[in-house]
Amino acid sequence: MSLTQSVLFAVVLAPGVIFALFSVLWLLGWNAPERVLTRATAITYSIATVAVAWLAWSVYSGGGATIAVPLGDWFTVHDYHFPLVLLGDGLSLPFLALTVILVGLIGQFSATYLHRDPGFARFYILLHLFAFGAMLIFSAGSFDLVIGGWELVGITSVLLISFFHYRQGPVDSALRVFIVYRACDIGIITAAFVLHHMAHSSSFAEGMPHLVDGDATIVGLLLLLSAAGKSAQVPFSGWLPRAMEGPTPSSAIFYGAISVHAGAYLLLRAQPIILESPFATAAVILIGLLTAAQGSMIGRTCADAKTSLAYASLAQVGLVFVEIGLGWTWIPVMHILGHAMVRTLQFLRAPSMLHDYHQVHAAAGGHIGKTGKHYESFIPQGLQLWLYRMAIDRGHLDTIMERAFLQPLMQTSRFLARLDRIGLSTARAPEKKTAEIHAVAAHNERVIDG
Amino acid sequence: MADLSFPFVSASIAFPVMAACLAFSSERWARLAGVAGSSASALCALECLREVQAAGGARLGELSTLGIFAADPLNATFLVLYSFLTLGILILAPRRDTSSKITGTTLLLLAATLAAYGADNLMILAAAWTLSALPFILGPFTGTWRPRAGLAASCVAIFGALGIIARAAHDGGAHNPFSLAELQGHNFGGSAAFALLIVAIVCRKGIFPAHAWIEDAAEAGPVLPVCLFINGHLGAFLLARVVIPDFPLSAQGAFPILSDLALFTALYAAVRAVAETKARRILSLLVLSQSACILAGLESATPEGITGALIHCMVVAVATTGLFSVLRLMEVRFGRSFTADHYLGLSEYTPRLAVFFAVCGLSLVGLPGTLGFCSEDLLIHGTLVSHPQVGLLLPLATAMNAVSLFRLFSKMFLGTQRTGIHGVGDAIPRERWVLAAIAVFIVVAGVTPSAAVALRRNAAQALNATLSPSTSVAENR
Repeated sequence: MSLTQSVLFAVVLAPGVIFALFSVLWLLGWNAPERVLTRATAITYSIATVAVAWLAWSVYSGGGATIAVPLGDWFTVHDYHFPLVLLGDGLSLPFLALTVILVGLIGQFSATYLHRDPGFARFYILLHLFAFGAMLIFSAGSFDLVIGGWELVGITSVLLISFFHYRQGPVDSALRVFIVYRACDIGIITAAFVLHHMAHSSSFAEGMPHLVDGDATIVGLLLLLSAAGKSAQVPFSGWLPRAMEGPTPSSAIFYGAISVHAGAYLLLRAQPIILESPFATAAVILIGLLTAAQGSMIGRTCADAKTSLAYASLAQVGLVFVEIGLGWTWIPVMHILGHAMVRTLQFLRAPSMLHDYHQVHAAAGGHIGKTGKHYESFIPQGLQLWLYRMAIDRGHLDTIMERAFLQPLMQTSRFLARLDRIGLSTARAPEKKTAEIHAVAAHNERVIDG
Repeated sequence: MADLSFPFVSASIAFPVMAACLAFSSERWARLAGVAGSSASALCALECLREVQAAGGARLGELSTLGIFAADPLNATFLVLYSFLTLGILILAPRRDTSSKITGTTLLLLAATLAAYGADNLMILAAAWTLSALPFILGPFTGTWRPRAGLAASCVAIFGALGIIARAAHDGGAHNPFSLAELQGHNFGGSAAFALLIVAIVCRKGIFPAHAWIEDAAEAGPVLPVCLFINGHLGAFLLARVVIPDFPLSAQGAFPILSDLALFTALYAAVRAVAETKARRILSLLVLSQSACILAGLESATPEGITGALIHCMVVAVATTGLFSVLRLMEVRFGRSFTADHYLGLSEYTPRLAVFFAVCGLSLVGLPGTLGFCSEDLLIHGTLVSHPQVGLLLPLATAMNAVSLFRLFSKMFLGTQRTGIHGVGDAIPRERWVLAAIAVFIVVAGVTPSAAVALRRNAAQALNATLSPSTSVAENR
């Protein structure tokens, strides 16, 4: 393994090692002090930032040569193998740099923001797991490995949304986000298997597998499903405002920077496959346009800062999708990098928004009046009202999803439960017993709670 | 057939039987006898596995002239896994679940299940199959009528098949009509025996429409012995040990239907779990759904699918043992049967139990970094190759299972904190060490899955060779 390969391998592995170390120590009963956690984070990501910069320089000075780290097969059965290959190329390195820089910054910011919070250690442990997942996504040389990182980012996202788990709201939101994630993850999982089936490989370390038009459409649409889910594109955007229940630093890095752009990265990586299929290309552009319009419209009606920023973020990611669909590569990459940085800053400043607002006005020498010159003022009054109602209900997307999928699923489940209970007259007894236990437990709780 | 250097299979069965006798005779020493008996059993099974591995995956007999027990790559891993699971459960079980009657019967369950795994003789296998089910049919682990009926039906079916096979083998001139080695590939008993064996598997494994007994058993019976019983996966074992080798042609013809039935069960249980509120029922439905995936993998007749199924057996067994154990420990601590009706916020009191529950649950639904990811990967790939509809729908079932599991986790451990709970501790050392061992196994085997794949490779190759000889020859080359 050459030096560049070793460095890439170490950079990707480092957050995973830190996560494993602190988790095991916690399970063994050691609660790491805040200072240890923050210093370990600062040192790890400072070194990682320098290492990624050096890797970028090596690639640039080498004329754009890709750094591939073949680690062999994770497991092999017959002619099926799970390749472990890391990739450092013009596409992955900017994203790796973005991840290490932002995770390092968020680590520093959270040291103060979450000081003396009971979940301080949990936040840092999950932050490292998230970083590991994100690094896996961005450095993976095969869709199989992307899935690994993809799932880790998903689960950490959900666990951080429910960070304040002693309130019901965040936990409910986390469950809703988890449902969307799992439903959409089916796309990338199936796409990887279909690629194995059709092209006998899901590796793109030596170029994207070539697919004919029909196959490319299937794979492209499956990847788009997952990308749309992860990047909160229409029709899955309903989860994004719910995700704002998590602590602000995690909202910043997940929904302002890394996680929300993971879908765009996936499409950029799979761009050759998507562009093979006019139908998949059109779908990417259409979804991007719809999301940009929806994000822009709903963002104007949001009453709280974080949700408003989330929709602004969503609108930009929608535009990135359009750029990818148009076949551009560098414009979406630059768009993502710039947007991620600005949005992270905005999210981190969100708790101080009122303070900033007053400072801006004070600096301007008084209250800055509203101009009222927004494009919506050109829309007829009746349409404005209709659009407003739609925006207030966030595009009715949650309602539609609930009525189209969730309610029928729950009804089917309850119907099957009734079917299962047919002829169970003698088995009613334990159920009654359980119900009685619950009634007594609930009564006791009421008495204890006063 | 070469012999094991010592009758390790018999020893691994004999130790729990002796320990059961001790446990029945003394309430005070029941747990200690159980732990000692299952430890000795586990060590014998481990040595048996080592010898099988050293012999290059060959089938090793035990006092070959008797032809009662044998060890090969298929059963040696099951022997080790099951004895260790029983050991773990006996160590961590709460005191109220370690009475002499429960411990003794659990040890007999271990002995019977190991005898079924190790049997080299269809009569022994059928007898062990029935003995392992008896505590759930006659007592002391009986619940509602459906578990009793389902298991009794499976026992009747296997003995019916045994009678037909023995008669056909006798008429066909077989020297020993019960010897599994002699029956191999002869299709003795034809369609009738094959159909009865499938009925036995469907009833025992809880494949639709004989699925409901598992939920009932988990809800109304003692949860840890029920978990141990389900995780024997004797239905899948019977398919791999008897049905595929003895009826290869019938199996090939019936597998598309069976595969669809397994898929339907996986989806049915996954959909059922979505709106279920009782914690025990949710977990049993998840086991049912994931176990059905094992059958789908075995029936895929591809090396990937079969290997995935055999590894998934291990994942389901270990992960659900962890899940049911944590559930039981929580029930004992909080004195209630849990439901997913409202949030309980119990992670505040039992953070480590919450983490163990999460790790086991995520492994069951295939999170990367756990062994479940590898097994799901192989399963889906294998089934996609042979039965695309199964391969495409299995991820859907898994996704729904993941949602149900996360819902249960959230309701039990997260949400509004209960007040007025005092003196409830997190996992005590003996619980913590067992659950830590489970978590370590899941994660270490998940990070280095090639070891688990290598462990199951020989067994998968043998099964695959029976089902699709051409693929197997190519593979061996």
